[in-house]
Amino acid sequence: MADTSKPATRKAAIVGGNRIPFARSNTAYAQASNQDMLTATLDGLVARFGLQGAQLGEVVAGAVLKHSRDFNLTRESVLGSRLSATTPAYDVQQACGTGLEAAILVANKIALEQIESGIAGGVDTTSDAPLAVGDDLRRVLISLSNAKTLQDRLKAVAKIRPGQLVPEIPRNAEPRTGLAMGDHAAITAEEWEIGREEQDELAVRSHQNMAAAYERGYFDDLVTPFLGLARDNNLRPDSSLEKLAKLKPVFGTGEGATMTAGNSTPLTDGASAVLLASDEWAAERGLPVLAHLVDAQTAAVDYVHGGEGLLMAPVYAMPVMLARNGLSLQDFDFYEIHEAFASTVLATMKAWEDAAFCKDKLGLDAPLGSIDRSKLNVHGSSLAAGHPFAATGGRIVAQLAKTLHEAGPGKRGLISICAAGGQGVVAILES
Amino acid sequence: MAVTVLDEAPNLRALYAKAAVTAWGRGGDLPTDRLARKGVAVDPAHLAAYTRVCRLPLDDVLPATYPHMLAFPLQMALMSDRSFPLALPGLVHVRNRIDVVRPIGAGEPLDLEVWAERFAAHRSGATVDLCATVSAGGQEVWRSRSTYLARGATAPEGAPAADVEVSVGALDRVAATWRVPADAGRRYAKVSGDVNPIHLSGLTAKAFGFKRAIAHGMWVKARVLGALAGRLPDALSVDVAFRKPLFLPSTVTLSTAQADGGWDAAVRNASSGSEHVVGTIRPL
Repeated sequence: MADTSKPATRKAAIVGGNRIPFARSNTAYAQASNQDMLTATLDGLVARFGLQGAQLGEVVAGAVLKHSRDFNLTRESVLGSRLSATTPAYDVQQACGTGLEAAILVANKIALEQIESGIAGGVDTTSDAPLAVGDDLRRVLISLSNAKTLQDRLKAVAKIRPGQLVPEIPRNAEPRTGLAMGDHAAITAEEWEIGREEQDELAVRSHQNMAAAYERGYFDDLVTPFLGLARDNNLRPDSSLEKLAKLKPVFGTGEGATMTAGNSTPLTDGASAVLLASDEWAAERGLPVLAHLVDAQTAAVDYVHGGEGLLMAPVYAMPVMLARNGLSLQDFDFYEIHEAFASTVLATMKAWEDAAFCKDKLGLDAPLGSIDRSKLNVHGSSLAAGHPFAATGGRIVAQLAKTLHEAGPGKRGLISICAAGGQGVVAILES
Repeated sequence: MAVTVLDEAPNLRALYAKAAVTAWGRGGDLPTDRLARKGVAVDPAHLAAYTRVCRLPLDDVLPATYPHMLAFPLQMALMSDRSFPLALPGLVHVRNRIDVVRPIGAGEPLDLEVWAERFAAHRSGATVDLCATVSAGGQEVWRSRSTYLARGATAPEGAPAADVEVSVGALDRVAATWRVPADAGRRYAKVSGDVNPIHLSGLTAKAFGFKRAIAHGMWVKARVLGALAGRLPDALSVDVAFRKPLFLPSTVTLSTAQADGGWDAAVRNASSGSEHVVGTIRPL
């Protein structure tokens, strides 16, 4: 249990969450901006917990794909929301770890008694993505705007070449390796010998779990309809192994290619937000406490030159956090491992089971061991919901907190989220 | 009073042309006939374009000014008809009051009805009100009153006095400065369909006696509401007076102050301080 040598700090309570349904790229939210989605999501949370005009300790959120005009995205969203305009806000960005990292930041300030309440969130759109002009054209345009005379301006304009007019579209690729995230994941899948069928099985279960959760109204107090969408439109309740088996691989090459559009997350638009607070603040307002954020850990791996897989950092973060809390990997009632790709979830679990890996790479005497699969992603995860990068953390935190609360007091849950740049964020929640 | 139900929104370009060629020889009393549309669905793409051009947040609730997009073409059809006593070219929008009875969902089918009333005497002519009501599920959810001034026109004998003023508090603190570009009128015209030549270019505006193109009043009104997003009551009344034309391009200031549970607001020229729009926003 908790290390008693540390000074006691209070744990931040998770009061609840709100998100808009996630939408596949260029569908229901094609016309919505990050600010539209984040503001609507904040207002949904405000409505759910009666926060009209309330001044909170802070709002922390971010987006992975962000227009330069949105430099202050979260603060702008707060100013357009029904929260008090005197609520401070700031942006964070840790790729797919953004939402969970935001929750950790808010929770830590609550634990340190610097604030009593806060919202953590995230938003992303791949439909309204920022386009940039190429470096050459950008330099020409800057010198054009600096030009004082007509002659200087003409000189600057004369440097424009037709080839420069093609905009740079943001790609889901690692700048240092040039590989798409899926290509990186395919390398890891091959290394860990992750089969096609087990990936498809994980994907089917994600869809079935989430569809069942929607059916029983589980998401009623977690999701607010937006722009005519009431459920995640990537969700396929009728998903089956037979259907997924027909899909052709999209990442990896040759015989060993196992990753398809069915067992990888699609580009998605959406936003999420989680309300955190001290127990006292929640009690004063008559708000529930679903769970507490007990601890968290981030880690990073050298996927460029160090030979580790891009999405394997959570594997490293986990033993550090478990040891600090005196817990084993099996001491949890629910596990939320973000399904960037089915193969990532499977490789992560396989690494924790692997004695040689745990000894050589993680420096452990014994492997962390296996996870009871019936406790994994019990209400569906990113393969079903979709994955608007920065919004996934908030979805998972709220979803797990509610799951723990439903299961009763004293239940423990574990979150593991991989992120671009070879980073990973893990956290423990307890009801 | 007869109500004519139209199956689709009238084409505004055609109505402007019709109004221009039938401008002369008008007179008499206001027509009592009404125009209506039933079960109108909001086009999500149009709503998105409208929120972008007016800098309003896009969500599932219609902006307070949006139903005007639906009602205005019907009002134009009334005004361009030969039976309407005032010539459309030269009519100036001087006041607009909108009541939002309750927030309107973007997915709700809406019934619209428009009519003209209150032919009134003004010191420099006559005014007339173009009214609209919007219902959802048989209940009125929105209504508006647009007052137009016809300079040099004469109201009928015994007409009431025009009511075009909106009074606001001091408003001496600037909340925001907006650079309104030269193409603001064309951009809003494209979305709203209000292709009145006075908004489109300097040349077309000159033909109607304006030195430059002028911004649409309803666009300015929508932007004021956009600037106050998140701070407005659900049910509200927004009453604005359009004073001096906002010539394009311009730099203008927005001043706001809390008042009676709502807001007072003014949009003024940044250098001369002359007032373009003043208005009140109050809980209904």
